[in-house]
Amino acid sequence: MAFINYSSREIQLKIVYYGAALCGKTTNLVTLHKQITHAQKGELVSLATDADRTLFFDFLSLNTKTLPGFTTRFQLYTVPGQAIYNTTRQLVLKGVDGIVFCVDSHWDKMADNVESFANLQENLIENHLSLAQIPYVLQYNKRDIPNAAPVNYLEYTFNNRANRALAFEGVASTGKGVLETLNAAARLLLAKYSKTPNPNVTGLAKTDSSSIVQPLPDSPQQGSPVAS
Amino acid sequence: MLTPEDQALIQNLLNEFIKKSEAQWSALVDKGGNLFAQQGNTGSLDLSILSALAAGSFAATHELAKRLGESEFSALYHEGQGQHILMSALHCECLLVTIFGDKTNIGLVRFYAQQVTEQLNAILKQIQAKEATMAPLIVEGDFLSSDTAAIS
Repeated sequence: MAFINYSSREIQLKIVYYGAALCGKTTNLVTLHKQITHAQKGELVSLATDADRTLFFDFLSLNTKTLPGFTTRFQLYTVPGQAIYNTTRQLVLKGVDGIVFCVDSHWDKMADNVESFANLQENLIENHLSLAQIPYVLQYNKRDIPNAAPVNYLEYTFNNRANRALAFEGVASTGKGVLETLNAAARLLLAKYSKTPNPNVTGLAKTDSSSIVQPLPDSPQQGSPVAS
Repeated sequence: MLTPEDQALIQNLLNEFIKKSEAQWSALVDKGGNLFAQQGNTGSLDLSILSALAAGSFAATHELAKRLGESEFSALYHEGQGQHILMSALHCECLLVTIFGDKTNIGLVRFYAQQVTEQLNAILKQIQAKEATMAPLIVEGDFLSSDTAAIS
């Protein structure tokens, strides 16, 4: 839950990167840490095994001046993707404000992706939350692999609800779509504190806005509230 | 939500606590890893990271406690070569995190931590009750123009 400190004029927001094992959650944070130049960023902390697999979480803190009169501190976490670490995923979700769900575009990973998305919903329930309450965006990662599943298929599988989430194509290892994804999540979170929130959420990506996934013909316009 | 008055009250309590216990630094953080208030000196340590790791560590211990049939371990102590950490559970999903060195000892820190814990719990309960009646934060104007990124 967002923490607002009126004394230091600071809002702290927690964004969790969720997804199946090896889908690119940690790579998103590593790339963000390299890419972000203007926001005041902290050190990237990884609680990982010797084989560089996330054991507990990765953590990156970013300070921005996005809301008039307030410093906004985004605290970015990843969860461990491996099935055995489900308790840890529940713990990391504690106090979450927004979610980035990373989908591995590899065909062979579809079952893992679907299982992880279901697991996210179960773990939100464990934390007395749901996807209807928590703003989330989707990132279709690894779009550069030769046998990537078509975006329409991914949209059909992961974004086929009455209220569609914003979705971005990405290649986290090269940086494509990484900032755009985070900015979309950040905007969704900040909108609730603005008297006149800018509804044009899709227009926020400063670079490479072509990576924004186009909505299917029957879907509502992107930028509409993700969930209600 | 923490008002300047609440913040001042908590800071005073923490200040008094570190003076009496001779601890180096103490902070009120929530179990989600947010830093609410802090007093003392940690040098160049990144306090966001410290809070996130403390909350994670306590959360893991909480799960261990549950599996042992305990509702919660009320305190967690990490002993180092020269610096040590004591974490104490508070009400309202919060923690008191204290770093101390060899200038003092765990017994003294624990004694004063138990005292301040009760006082902090009382304040946290008041804040929680007040929060339910407070209007949500709404900032005047748009937070960003449509062509700028929140983070760059």
